[in-house]
Amino acid sequence: MDPIRRSLLGQLARLSAGAAMVPLSSVASAGINDQPVRREGDPNKRYGMLIDLRQCIGCQACTVSCHIENDAPLGNFRTVVSQFEVEQEGTGEVATFMLPRLCNHCDNPPCVPVCPVQATYQRQDGIVVVDSDRCVGCAYCVNACPYDARFINEKTQTADKCTFCAHRLEAGLLPACVESCVGGARIIGDMRDPESEISRLMDQHRDELMVLQPEKGTLPQVFYLGMDEHFTHRPDAEPGIWDVINEAGKELGYEFGH
Amino acid sequence: MSLVTEVVVPRYGIAWYPWAVQYFFLMALSYTTLWIAAPGIILGKKNWLATSRLALLACVSTTLVAPVALLADLHQPLRFWHFYAHPTPWSWMSIGSFLLPLHLVCTVLLAWLAWRPALKARSQAGDGWFSRIAGWLAWGNWQAPRAAMVLVGLAALTSSLGMMIYTGAEVAIVKGRPLWHTVWLPPMFVATGTIGACGLILLLNRISGMRQADTNRQMLAIMVGACVVAGFIALTWFLDGANAVSGSVAAALDSISQSDAWRNTAMEGGIAGVLLAALAFLARRTPGRRRAFGWVLGLLALHVAWMFRWVVLMDVQTVARNSAGFHDYHIAFGSYGLTGVIGIFGLWLTALLLIELFVPWREASLDPQRDAPPPTDASPTTGASASNASVSAASQGAPRHG
Repeated sequence: MDPIRRSLLGQLARLSAGAAMVPLSSVASAGINDQPVRREGDPNKRYGMLIDLRQCIGCQACTVSCHIENDAPLGNFRTVVSQFEVEQEGTGEVATFMLPRLCNHCDNPPCVPVCPVQATYQRQDGIVVVDSDRCVGCAYCVNACPYDARFINEKTQTADKCTFCAHRLEAGLLPACVESCVGGARIIGDMRDPESEISRLMDQHRDELMVLQPEKGTLPQVFYLGMDEHFTHRPDAEPGIWDVINEAGKELGYEFGH
Repeated sequence: MSLVTEVVVPRYGIAWYPWAVQYFFLMALSYTTLWIAAPGIILGKKNWLATSRLALLACVSTTLVAPVALLADLHQPLRFWHFYAHPTPWSWMSIGSFLLPLHLVCTVLLAWLAWRPALKARSQAGDGWFSRIAGWLAWGNWQAPRAAMVLVGLAALTSSLGMMIYTGAEVAIVKGRPLWHTVWLPPMFVATGTIGACGLILLLNRISGMRQADTNRQMLAIMVGACVVAGFIALTWFLDGANAVSGSVAAALDSISQSDAWRNTAMEGGIAGVLLAALAFLARRTPGRRRAFGWVLGLLALHVAWMFRWVVLMDVQTVARNSAGFHDYHIAFGSYGLTGVIGIFGLWLTALLLIELFVPWREASLDPQRDAPPPTDASPTTGASASNASVSAASQGAPRHG
């Protein structure tokens, strides 16, 4: 849980050090592959998401509503719920594990400094966005993201990713995935506001929260409650999905993207 | 203990296409062939001149074609100007976008200065269109001082170092792909690039008909050295990470233990590398063997250099980061796949043939004042006329054109 603590401490430090330090820190961050200065967005906010896995039933309503809201091409997803079948070896008992995935809007996002034209940038409220009018489609950010949260949108031929539905947040609405979640598993909010639901839940469950691949140093800002540590990394699992083939060895069932 | 089966998972495609392999391959050949050209063309070492001429041809042709491959790997190639409208000094790719044109200009300028005396000589030869085009390419009858060539050469060497550093760092800083994120990858790019450059020059030495014995000897010697260095880098990379639980070596061992394809790749790579080193070591011992097997080793060396980049850039992208197993990647036939690969090789061949046709590259000179009147002749106006004989006499190749 160190990265979470570090990120929280970092945010506290940023709050306490105040705005006066911001210009200084931006001058200091001129090294190659360092984080550039954040721009746009509300500097007084830091959006984050908490996903209560105990509430997730794997219905993919978030996947579908996001897909419709953001007009992603078939086969590409800004968010998706990975599902695993877990069989207890001794008893043969089977359980299902759900893992909603989306952009982690990291505090140290590896996708941002690699962008050669500053089309990908982090807003002051922490949301990582892509300017699709500027993006050259080099796909460097797609490779740089350890969470596979990015893809090249074949309609726009530019990098595409979850934006926490920034356009909806700005209109006072919840992101499509949060709005459609039947179990209320996804909670989004301003983590700098101590009264926000996400702040309260994070205070309450501080020691149980986990993030994906914490050792990468990306400081993800999507926190999971009810997470099994095995699933914070690439799962040690049977890749069942690829077995859907017909007698001729042709893959069935995955028509997307062709 | 429990068994986990992945039930629902999205399909993640690859983000960099085979164009990227072509770019990294050609660019590595570009900067390493420049280094091989340097002793003869820039430093004026006489017994390297023949090798330098071949290396310069290799360097210019690869430098001209590499940016095309890079441009093609962008999903929005017409937006390339955004690189220059939004300079981003903290991004290695942006740094590269400024280094690349600099490198291209420096190497083409260097080659032009080296080829000018022969171009001027050909323009006087009365060979119809070939002479006329040679005259246009020479762009006047003036003489550049030797110092200009040395300066341009040094600038080209500096830009080539920039290209070497940026192409390595661009890939090695990607933490998201553990197999790339190692300090041993950039030196390995250089070592395999040098192996490929020697191979290319050996091959050009044969198919151009130059058949320089010195070139065979020099290239095989460097190739053996580069193989030894590559072996040491591979060994150090392995020992450096053999006991680590994560990192590039652990990721590589994971892939090898989980996938037949990766096992085969590792075997093939290992065998090709060791075979090349052993054959190069054996072939370089006698002039007869060097003459007979030089070009075969050249082809094998190019194969090793290209395959290394294919495995690093394409195969590594098939290693899943957030799902079980490996992504399915079969090279497509269209321009994102096979046609692109073949197209770039075709373009490269075209560049080579155009240079062959219109530039007397076999007579490249380390002295841009080749055609200057001898010191005893005080007349400044007889510049170009005396050149033909002196150039031909100094040339170790078989001058021909068309």
